[in-house]
Amino acid sequence: MTDAARLERRYRRLLAFYPAAFRREHEEEMLVVLMACARNGRRRPGLADCADLIRNAIWMRLRPWAQRPAPSVFWAVGLMILGAVLELAAVVSVVATQDSLRAAIVRHFPHFTVGHVHQVVYAHVVAVEIGAPIAAAVCLLMAWANGRGYGWARGLVLGFFALTSISLLSAFAQHAETYAPVDLIVGCALWLVGLVTVVLILSPRSEQHYDHRTPGPRAHKNRTAAPWPGHEHVWPADTGSASWN
Amino acid sequence: MGKRTMQEATFMILTALASGSQHGYGIITDVTGISDGRVRLRAGTLYTALDRLRGDGLIEVDREEIVDSRLRRYYRLTPAGGERLAEEAARLQANAHVAMSRLDLSGGLAT
Repeated sequence: MTDAARLERRYRRLLAFYPAAFRREHEEEMLVVLMACARNGRRRPGLADCADLIRNAIWMRLRPWAQRPAPSVFWAVGLMILGAVLELAAVVSVVATQDSLRAAIVRHFPHFTVGHVHQVVYAHVVAVEIGAPIAAAVCLLMAWANGRGYGWARGLVLGFFALTSISLLSAFAQHAETYAPVDLIVGCALWLVGLVTVVLILSPRSEQHYDHRTPGPRAHKNRTAAPWPGHEHVWPADTGSASWN
Repeated sequence: MGKRTMQEATFMILTALASGSQHGYGIITDVTGISDGRVRLRAGTLYTALDRLRGDGLIEVDREEIVDSRLRRYYRLTPAGGERLAEEAARLQANAHVAMSRLDLSGGLAT
């Protein structure tokens, strides 16, 4: 492998830090510039180039947050992250209040045997231990997708809120016998957070954040298919003044 | 709220494109030249800025070429980009004018 090929491969590795959409659009032309700027015989990217590429790759990934969206979406995303934290708090609270849960079951079902009570508590704890981390992951996914303005993300929030509501209603329908008080408080807090989130993302102020993301200069829909690889080919437009140095 | 002050790298990129369309490497060498070597753009900074400027509608792709199996894309200023650059240049000129006139009033730089 030649020095240039090694250098190019290493630059490609650095460019992998950038978001996929950005790479699709700019990777090849960035490589041309990086290779043109590199000294002859160089095998490794310079430290300054590495720092510049990594710093800008991080910036490109964080940019949707840096360019703060409408306040309603910003706060909704914050609440989704809070929802993830509350979901994880639910696990801690259920595990920590197992005795309280056991007492609540014995109080409401005095005829249950010890084995039966243990079975109900175990089933409840396992359900929360499995379900809550998944719910927390969904909350973080919703926060990411809504922050970026994906239209489907709002549907996901609505679906998740509907599930949370059904879960809470079902708990109250059972007169909350198999729920410890802390568990119920966390559940109610989650529902309220979900309600405010839904109101925020459905508000008219949020519309612009979600609408028409794909068209515009970044979509580059008019990009012509290139005769790749091959000889020089010029796409029509007025003749430029620049030359390749 | 007023427009944000333009970063120097952005100002230099728009200035480089003000004289005609250029590809990435051309912009880098032009910016180095017009700043007397003071501003040296690197590829990461340049393409992050170009992507943002394109998103803001201040520049656009003029044309694309394939040379030696490599993509060469030329960028040019849009009318909005030209206006924005002119505004920024006027702002800098006004600031510089105030600074120079005050230096003249106080008899020049203190030594």
